[in-house]
Amino acid sequence: MTLSSPTKRPALHRTVLGNGLTVLVIENAVADIVSARLLIKAGTGREARSQAGLFSLLASLLTKGTRHFSSMDIAEQVESVGASVGTDASVDYSLVSLKTVTADFEAILALVAEMVRYPSFPEAEFDLERHLTLQSLRSMKEQPFTLAFNALRAAMYGEHPYGLPGIGTEESVANLTRDDLEQAHQTFFRPDNCIMVVSGRIQPEPAIALTERYLGDWTAPDTAIPATRYPPVPTTATHVVIPQPTNQSILVLGYPTPAVHDPAYAVLKLLSTYLGNGLSSRLFVELREKRGLAYDVSAFYPTRLSHSQFVAHMGTAPENQAIALQGLRNEIERLGQEPLTKDELEATKNKLLGQYALGKQTNAQLGQLLGWYEVLGLGVEFDQVFQDTIRSITADQALAVGKRYFRDPFTVVLGPDLANG
Amino acid sequence: MTTTTLTFPGTVHQLENGLTVVHQHMPATPVVVADVWVDAGAAQEPLEWLGMAHFLEHMVFKGTERLLPGMFDHTIETQGGFSNAATSHDYAHFYMAVAADALPTTLPHLADLVLHAAIPADEFVRERQVVLEEIRQAHDDPDWVGFQALSEQVFPDHAYGRPVLGTAEILAQRSPEEMRSFHQRHYQPDNMTVVIAGGTPLEPTLDMVRHAFRAFPTPPTTTPAVVPGKVDSWWGVRRQVLRIPRLEHARLTMAWLGPGIDDLDAACGMDILSALLAEGRSARLVRELREERQWVLDISSSFSLQRDCSLFTLQAWLAPDAVDAVEALICERLSTLAVQTVPTAELERAKRLLTNDFAFSTETPGQLAGLYGYYSVVANAADSYSYPDRIRAHTPASITSLVQTYLSTNAYASTVLLPTT
Repeated sequence: MTLSSPTKRPALHRTVLGNGLTVLVIENAVADIVSARLLIKAGTGREARSQAGLFSLLASLLTKGTRHFSSMDIAEQVESVGASVGTDASVDYSLVSLKTVTADFEAILALVAEMVRYPSFPEAEFDLERHLTLQSLRSMKEQPFTLAFNALRAAMYGEHPYGLPGIGTEESVANLTRDDLEQAHQTFFRPDNCIMVVSGRIQPEPAIALTERYLGDWTAPDTAIPATRYPPVPTTATHVVIPQPTNQSILVLGYPTPAVHDPAYAVLKLLSTYLGNGLSSRLFVELREKRGLAYDVSAFYPTRLSHSQFVAHMGTAPENQAIALQGLRNEIERLGQEPLTKDELEATKNKLLGQYALGKQTNAQLGQLLGWYEVLGLGVEFDQVFQDTIRSITADQALAVGKRYFRDPFTVVLGPDLANG
Repeated sequence: MTTTTLTFPGTVHQLENGLTVVHQHMPATPVVVADVWVDAGAAQEPLEWLGMAHFLEHMVFKGTERLLPGMFDHTIETQGGFSNAATSHDYAHFYMAVAADALPTTLPHLADLVLHAAIPADEFVRERQVVLEEIRQAHDDPDWVGFQALSEQVFPDHAYGRPVLGTAEILAQRSPEEMRSFHQRHYQPDNMTVVIAGGTPLEPTLDMVRHAFRAFPTPPTTTPAVVPGKVDSWWGVRRQVLRIPRLEHARLTMAWLGPGIDDLDAACGMDILSALLAEGRSARLVRELREERQWVLDISSSFSLQRDCSLFTLQAWLAPDAVDAVEALICERLSTLAVQTVPTAELERAKRLLTNDFAFSTETPGQLAGLYGYYSVVANAADSYSYPDRIRAHTPASITSLVQTYLSTNAYASTVLLPTT
């Protein structure tokens, strides 16, 4: 048996309240913890370029004031019981999460419901958070990888909202107003656009009853949720050079790849595992273990509602950057030229399925994954569908997908002495 | 508030050869984590072998007489598990997560790697390149650079003041023979703890460990003397200002020597102080400096328990011209804390945060293995579970006394990072 084999799973219950709110309950009595997450089906991918950073700022303002509570009231209520409440904006959804010992769950749920339904966006808090966001944007420039990755994303996505950092740009954030936040909240924060996931030491009946009590009378407006429309993405690959006086050169390359609903999705997840995941991955073995070119080298393929990207990256000594970049490309594009061996294919499936299982160990992790599948419109069944699909992938399928997508990467090189590189 | 006394849920065993084994059966999980902790961190290095402990951690994965380089990673990962390692001043540890029924076949391999690292000469030369990349990458991270500078200031005569990664110059002079000698000397049963947590019962597990960890290397007759050095407290303010290229925000870090492992009650009290001052929006310094005065972008505190001497730090991200005012204000607030009793509600808030954090961090086998292993190396494993009780036992008076003893505003170190321009 490996970790991918079916094992005893916590019981899962799914229901939809009268107001359209989807509720998932995952009962897991092992620890005296309840983790809950409210996922709102709108994230930074919904932003106009001029309003980039809107959802990120909206998420941080949720904890900074409601019709009844000030920012400090909220902080004190949460912190006095030792709970944690977090908010976040991702590309395809926004998130409010909480974690408490079981006894405190109701009180914190009540507070979170108030935050989500009745944020007041106080002027002073808005100014403070916007100021801190602008400072965070400056911090990003301190990290060579972040700088290089932002450049890659900009090149690959052009006018598409995925092309900007989730927290926006200095220009867009400076122009955001409280009205923008209120508008976005009114449009997207509604029960029929949300998934509530409760996991931990709680039974389904009380979990659903509590959700009903605090979120059941939240009514959706009559208007329809606006449809998403994305601009086309650039089709011609570019090469970007960023001179920086760093000790290492950072190489990032990205191949345009499809979204989660495409049949190639599972295959690309498998290929990214083969290439870039773990100490036995192809890039790690070939470029680090055999050739000593890097400390960090890996690949990833994010799950996206709209266009995704297949990214590989490494840091290397400046004198090795040309050979390293060629090495990265060769390893990736080889997958479109020669099929994986039977052993490689089986080994990669086991690795992917095992690590997938290991990524669902805590209440919070499992809840997040299933809630996200709901957001993506795949449903909780996708947890099983995805694993079955992975098991069924053939070497020919993998080769065809490699051939189709691994051809002409967008590249970014950041480092010193680039005139000679 | 309900108070439950937690008893250590695991068991500690000492095998005939002196090896310590810590075990916890978690019947509900299909995963097992095996984590081998060795009292052979950077503090065990002779001065001229700086970086050896960490480099050896890399070389352990380069195989043995029986296992070729990469075979272990490949075996573990293709069964759906993962492995990794880390080195600090007080320890090196090597761990893997696998399906419970894969433990009997994989544990012997982990033991073989750790006990019988072959350290082949060609791999040694190649892997040194990887470590040099790791060092280059670290030097591109301003926070790493700042922390090293601070450590040197606080521990000028102790290994804690030296970088775990070593330096390129010293690594260039090391040989595989020296590394083998370091390995043979320290990777001995009375220097090690094997932690096994997850879906595996005690008896077969103990037998597995006994069998896998039976043949230890023969200790060398001579190796250079190990002198971790001494820790001296000082009077006055040790202050340094570093100019860092590409820095967008200044950093101010203030550091104090804390109690050691011989006084765990006091050490837990330092965690309370850390939470009181800077954990969460209602913590004193966060509230005043970030939310009200808006002098900092962020401020955080950390207390790290180390064997020879722990370290208490406060770190702020801020504008260069705010550094002096913030440092002065922090000193003023600490002086107040030394003479004015902490209100009960505030103390309770910090206690609940910490005891809940403890509960939240004992959910998975990996978390538990890390917790037990760390305590086993610096103190002993069962002490980990006395943490909530030690936290609860603190009173306003004991906290005041800790401030007076450890957080003097007349004896601390501060490191300031400023941009070069």
